[in-house]
Amino acid sequence: MMDTQLLISGVIFGLSIGSIYFLMAIGLSLCFGLMRIISLDQLLYYSVGAYITYTIHFATGNTWLGVLGGMAAAGLVSFGVERFVYLRIYERDIAFTMIASFGILFAGVGAIKYVWGLVPRPVPVPIEAQVNILGTGIPVYRLIVIGISLLVYVGIWLFLNRSITGKAIRAGIEDVEHVEGLGVNVYKLFTVTFIIAGILSGLAGGLHAPLIMVDPQMGLEVLAFVFMVVIIGGLGSIKGTLISAFIVGQVISLGSLLYAPLAQMAPFAIMLLILLIKPTGLYGSKLLKR
Amino acid sequence: MMKAFRWWWDILLAFLLLGVARVLLPLPFANEVIIFSIYTMGCNFLLGRVGFISFGQPAYLAVGAYATAFYLYYFGHNPYIGILMGILAGWVVSAIVGAFFVRLRSDYFALVNLALAVIMFYLMEKVLATITHGDNGLWFLTTMSSTPVLDLGRPNEFFIFIFLVAMALWAFYKYLDDSIYGACCLATKINEDKLKFIGYSNFNIRWMAFIIANTTTALAGSLYAVYFGFVSPAITSPSRAADPVVVTILGGVGTLYGPIVGSFAYTGMKDLLSGYIANWELFIGLLLVFIMLAGEKGIWGSLEPIMQKVFFRKSTLTRYQDSGDEIR
Repeated sequence: MMDTQLLISGVIFGLSIGSIYFLMAIGLSLCFGLMRIISLDQLLYYSVGAYITYTIHFATGNTWLGVLGGMAAAGLVSFGVERFVYLRIYERDIAFTMIASFGILFAGVGAIKYVWGLVPRPVPVPIEAQVNILGTGIPVYRLIVIGISLLVYVGIWLFLNRSITGKAIRAGIEDVEHVEGLGVNVYKLFTVTFIIAGILSGLAGGLHAPLIMVDPQMGLEVLAFVFMVVIIGGLGSIKGTLISAFIVGQVISLGSLLYAPLAQMAPFAIMLLILLIKPTGLYGSKLLKR
Repeated sequence: MMKAFRWWWDILLAFLLLGVARVLLPLPFANEVIIFSIYTMGCNFLLGRVGFISFGQPAYLAVGAYATAFYLYYFGHNPYIGILMGILAGWVVSAIVGAFFVRLRSDYFALVNLALAVIMFYLMEKVLATITHGDNGLWFLTTMSSTPVLDLGRPNEFFIFIFLVAMALWAFYKYLDDSIYGACCLATKINEDKLKFIGYSNFNIRWMAFIIANTTTALAGSLYAVYFGFVSPAITSPSRAADPVVVTILGGVGTLYGPIVGSFAYTGMKDLLSGYIANWELFIGLLLVFIMLAGEKGIWGSLEPIMQKVFFRKSTLTRYQDSGDEIR
């Protein structure tokens, strides 16, 4: 039988991985819900966030400052991309934007290689301390990551339900044309949503950087997992994304405790199963039919 | 006679040019271009004719490659039979998998295929490591027996073989495009309700297209296996999952020669640029975005109208270009 210490650290590990995936998936999910685009380039903002975190940490020695800088940089880059590329292609078919966004991701990976080189870069964990939970030492940093992602969830929920822009975004997810008919400039909404998505991806990158090595391919490596989170949760649903992110995180970490080779594969098997049974994902709405 | 020539002439011309390229360019490059174009052909058919975008082509590539490798490593020595095994395995797997996948919408289809590629990667790397030898891969270059007419163990004779295979495939796809079945494929992409109304089954058409396309991909996989004499899980690595899609777009979606032109440009750029600078992705990516913004016709899609004007002085391609307007 698996012993308790291993189980607890496994659960915490899974939750922290899930938090990172959630932060990235939320942007993808919002983009799909509102603009009907599959924005693969969120993974670029994730890498940008991680690299800026590394650079600022290298310059100042403060990782938290780096995370903030990473968020800002990711927001800026996503704003630029939205202006120059997406504004021209929002009207197009979904597969079209998917390919275009893949082009952006690919170009971005090339640019990162050009600026930072091919060598993986380490970012030290900002808080080395551990807390004791039921006799198991848990790194505080992982708990903070989980806390931040829950805060973000609450913040997004408040934004979408309490602010007028958020309400317009929610209405847009239901039916963009009606919102436009009410006199709202939907393209402004699109820009706001896209930048929020970019900033959250940057935050995910910055927070993930100390847990892994920062390397140019990091975006491509998590691509499959993040997409899986979005698909299992249902495209366009925030709650579904949170739940599926934690499911995926647990499957990865507990799966690796049971049988190591399964850890990477099991989530995909689960996704296949869920899609074949319920093609819209757990919380996907029927409205999202093409 | 004249009519048959009309039908064949552009295939012959394309392959004549490819033959010239063989003389001018180094052999490994020419081999790689042809195999890559076969690999892309399946994706091109799916994307351009049926409107399915698949980010999981490496999965089917690996099916073909590993079927060939298993045969050549464990059972026999004849590369031709190995390639046949690859085709057979590709056919069986895509028939089974396709029956589930083609029911999904095109955006989910892309991601489910990606998932399959990842599963295949870990299956080959870890789970089946006892028979696939994990990351070390299977080596069988030296154990392949030499065959009488075309010895596949020698690169220059291998080139002739894949040259003929590719030509046959192109004729096959051209035939498909002209047939009623090809028209049905386009119809299911553009308006499935109407096609259903006429009395066709969308599922059958898509399923068959999926099988055709991915058997072609598996064939490319087994050609890779025989060419390198070596197969490792890297062939289905998820980070290369989008290569065929990129090449398809680069060449021109749904056009017959898009895959050749695209893989020529892609392999060439990769070889040339990576010689000078490490970040050739930057250029490929920017090119991709540029093509998408400029009307998504790709290199061949833009060249084709000009070529037609020069050679035929008439525009017979409204039929092909219908598909260029929108990818679904």
